[in-house]
Amino acid sequence: MSTVPLTLRARSPMKALPWAVPVIVLLFALPQTIDPYKTILLTYGLVMGIAALGFNLLLGYTGLLSFGHSAYFGVGAYTVALMFKYFHVRSMELFLLGAILASLVVSALFGFVCVRYTRIFFGILTLALSQVLWSLAFKFYGITGGTDGLRVPTPTLLGLPLDTGGDKILFLARNYYYYVLGFFVACALVMWVVVNSPFGKALQAIRDNETRAEFVGIHIRRYRFVAFLVSGVFTGIAGALWVPLNGLTTPDILYWPFSGEIVFMTVLGGFRTFSGPIFGAVVFNYLKTSAVGFTTYWQALLGAILVFLVLALPAGIVGTVVQLFPLLKKRLAR
Amino acid sequence: MKGPVTRRDLLAKLGVTAAATLGASAAGFGVAGIARAQEKPKGTIPDKPFRIGHMTFFTGPGAVLGEPMHKGNLLAAEEINAQGGLLGKRKIEILKADEAAGLDANVKEMRRLRLSEKIDMFMGITSSGNTPALGPAAEELKLLTIFIDGCTDNLFDKAVPNPRYIFRVTNIQSADGSTCALGVAQTWPDVKKVAHIHPDYAYGRNCFEHFSIVSKKLLPKAQNVSEAWPKLFSTDFTSHITKTLGAKPDLLVTSVWGGDYISFYKQALQHGLFDKMRVATTLALGVAPHAIGKDHPEGVLAGVHANYHFSYPPGNRWPLNKTFVEKYKAKFNEYPNFQAEGAYTATHILRTAVEKANKLAGGWPDDEAIISQIEGMMIAGPGGYVYIRPDNHQGYKDAITGFSKNVPEYPFPILDPARIITIPIRNITAPPGWPKGDPTSTYTWIDQTWPTVKQA
Amino acid sequence: MDILVIHLFNALLYASVLFLIAGGLSLIYGVMRIVNLAHGNLYAFGAYVTAWVVGQALAGAHPVVLYLLLPVGAVAAALLGAILEPTLLRPFYRRAEEYQLLVTFGLLMILEDLMRFFWGPYPLTATSLFEKMGSLAIGESVYPRYNLLVIGIGVLAAAFLWAFVYKTRFGVVLRATSQDMRRASAMGVNVNRVYIQAFTIGCFMAGLGGAIVVPGQSAVLGMGVDALVLAFVVVVVGGLGSLEGALFGALIVGIVREFGVSVFPEVELAVLYLIAVVVLLVRPAGLFGRTA
Repeated sequence: MSTVPLTLRARSPMKALPWAVPVIVLLFALPQTIDPYKTILLTYGLVMGIAALGFNLLLGYTGLLSFGHSAYFGVGAYTVALMFKYFHVRSMELFLLGAILASLVVSALFGFVCVRYTRIFFGILTLALSQVLWSLAFKFYGITGGTDGLRVPTPTLLGLPLDTGGDKILFLARNYYYYVLGFFVACALVMWVVVNSPFGKALQAIRDNETRAEFVGIHIRRYRFVAFLVSGVFTGIAGALWVPLNGLTTPDILYWPFSGEIVFMTVLGGFRTFSGPIFGAVVFNYLKTSAVGFTTYWQALLGAILVFLVLALPAGIVGTVVQLFPLLKKRLAR
Repeated sequence: MKGPVTRRDLLAKLGVTAAATLGASAAGFGVAGIARAQEKPKGTIPDKPFRIGHMTFFTGPGAVLGEPMHKGNLLAAEEINAQGGLLGKRKIEILKADEAAGLDANVKEMRRLRLSEKIDMFMGITSSGNTPALGPAAEELKLLTIFIDGCTDNLFDKAVPNPRYIFRVTNIQSADGSTCALGVAQTWPDVKKVAHIHPDYAYGRNCFEHFSIVSKKLLPKAQNVSEAWPKLFSTDFTSHITKTLGAKPDLLVTSVWGGDYISFYKQALQHGLFDKMRVATTLALGVAPHAIGKDHPEGVLAGVHANYHFSYPPGNRWPLNKTFVEKYKAKFNEYPNFQAEGAYTATHILRTAVEKANKLAGGWPDDEAIISQIEGMMIAGPGGYVYIRPDNHQGYKDAITGFSKNVPEYPFPILDPARIITIPIRNITAPPGWPKGDPTSTYTWIDQTWPTVKQA
Repeated sequence: MDILVIHLFNALLYASVLFLIAGGLSLIYGVMRIVNLAHGNLYAFGAYVTAWVVGQALAGAHPVVLYLLLPVGAVAAALLGAILEPTLLRPFYRRAEEYQLLVTFGLLMILEDLMRFFWGPYPLTATSLFEKMGSLAIGESVYPRYNLLVIGIGVLAAAFLWAFVYKTRFGVVLRATSQDMRRASAMGVNVNRVYIQAFTIGCFMAGLGGAIVVPGQSAVLGMGVDALVLAFVVVVVGGLGSLEGALFGALIVGIVREFGVSVFPEVELAVLYLIAVVVLLVRPAGLFGRTA
């Protein structure tokens, strides 16, 4: 990527507080004010936000566009389903642990192969590998249920008994929402630390000028590999958190157009900013749901929005706002 | 059943009849009819419209099945609304949703329809990949639901073994493979070498498994000599046809359907496949009757998803079918398929349940009352009698299949009226009380309780 | 023995269509350095247009007319390409590669629904051409003559393309632009015009693939997405940006797939992706490609 990036100044977690705290407080308070359906929709958005955060570590910070992130999402989701099927696990924490381990293994495997390449080849390779997983999930229907998928019933959170009296909607809109919110905040925090650490700086250096970074002494391939791992694990966590929302996982989430959706939401929000992908994920979630409910030509609608976005707002929504901010400041100061 | 059984005996015991019969016997009383004069409802009925969320394939290759489903719903709703609506007061409003959006979007959309749009009922679904998720979601939402298809045995075997709010109206998936196998056993008992071509996904696997288990019992000397698993929605079967021809089988069994089947039979014709072997299908004529041309060979066992073909029951023998087909053709300029018939019948099941509940208690019945009326209901639909079993909320209708034949009345092949095969559904699906099994309850039931015939 | 010959023909049939699609993709990449994710939908568009013209609009016409009209899908796809390039793709040449992928991904979604809008959800067929050619007897078996026509067209296309790229002046300009765009521009080549021409040719090839395939199969929604993945596998094997690569890649994929379907039917779905992965591990640039 040769264009000049927005300067990402060194920021300690403290500097983010003025922004982060109100948002987090808002997110905590929201279920009290909006109806359960909207809260559940927001839960989906937060889950995809974690996935987009992970994905953007590779795109925004390391300059690698992966078109195969559905693989790690799917690995996370299927790990949960298989843990339930074969070991009758019900604890969400165990599910997450399993998902982290599984996505770590898969990202290590795939990452090892992929980081030898960049740009188009990287993208195609990630796509091909995710398709291999998809075809495996399809074929081994005795294990994965094939196109019928695998069911996962309501998990237990923190080992506590459910106090929702069997009302799954209440569970999703309240207990599960807060659980996901907690993880979301934790993941965002971890990612923030990562991208502002020396490691994160090195990634950006690699992104901006590979040759120079190498001459400075950064071991390109190793750094990319670690970034790949972190990215994959985040997306795997998202996949695991996603499963209880639908109660079913099918090979659909391993199919490459789903990877395209992850890319879409990251670009929608703005992949040059930290919070862009999160924002993009939440907005995309609402966008797709509304489009599907609005017209049977929802695909064309989303496609047109994507094209418009790339043409007119390449920095994404958050990116454009951030760009306009200093201009606004100037205007207001006059 | 003790001792060696002959095939003829077993087929007779199973009730497999191949003739221009009148349709299955209507065991049970209180058969509700579809076309009944509107009686005045008891008590006060609100005139708020009754909103039905209808989700099926409007885009993608599945639309060939999805569009007719919606049309059947529309036709029934129109009939009911012409009389003022349900109980003469509540008009039916249908909200469409596209199933092709994917499982994730579908679950969200069902929730949105229920929680935001406040639909009163949900209908639809074609894909078996969606019912195992939407079934539990509907139960969680306490949303009265009649699935039209999404026929996987999995739904009531594993996903929702004790349904409250959800029902399914078309025959269970395992019936397809079983019906096909019984049709073969009845007509071509001498087959020894069997080839298979099935689309590589749950439906194809299910047909293969159930064909195989029934064939094991009724055609014990038959062997599989070739298998092919083309990807669903691929339109090139050249390689698979060549492979099948190379194995020189007596019979080809295939569950390829829709646009795939059209491509398949045209390609197979050019390879001379139909001259070299017999062909049995599970869904050839069931999807879009008008799409198959008259070049389609005759005498192929042409499955209709074991559910319905518009040409049967024929003529005046079953007036409900005659009027249904006429109205459907007049409104949509095409002939209905099993999905259209299923949606039509399901809408009338709703109407009947509401009327009966109202007669008992007056006023607009709540969901519990409607559910209790649907459970155990036996209703006469265009395709025959449909029974909703109260324990698993699954619809049961006699299975049918037949042979393709060209007739002057229609510009496409239909089921040969002289050779329709009907099978009482209770004889080929797992009964109440049978424990849930793998891969399906019906499979284990057939495996463990049917005898193997002595093949001459 | 005759079955073996038929298997070979099947492999060549598959390879011919793949070559047309993948060749177009590779050509576009070679000259313009764009990966067009909507390329599969141009194949689908070609199929739909041909099916509509031959199968519906002019269905009753004389067979010779119909045969001559077969490439109409290719022409339509080329026209579509000629419209799309200056409007949707040119703004991105100076931008990062990622944006091209995104805009073509959006285009993929739009085209998908556009085809549904024009032609509805049911499959479209044009089988009269396929049937009229009848079958050829090969030993004990029969084989559709139309398939041989497709193979012939594939061979012709490959020959034409090779002559075009290596034996004409335009081909020289094309290759120059692909090797070094700036230097070619400095030497007076109108790069914009070369780009639009290359893109149009690439779309023509994809559309031709769809057009010749449709009489034997049918035009269905979603066929473009499937075709794209196949094209990717071919260019991965053969090398992105190389026409010889597309040719050999298509042949290899065709043969391996035919073998897989016959001998390992369960493997059919995964086999193509496995080929891609294996090649990428062993020779990442593909057989004839360059890691540009």
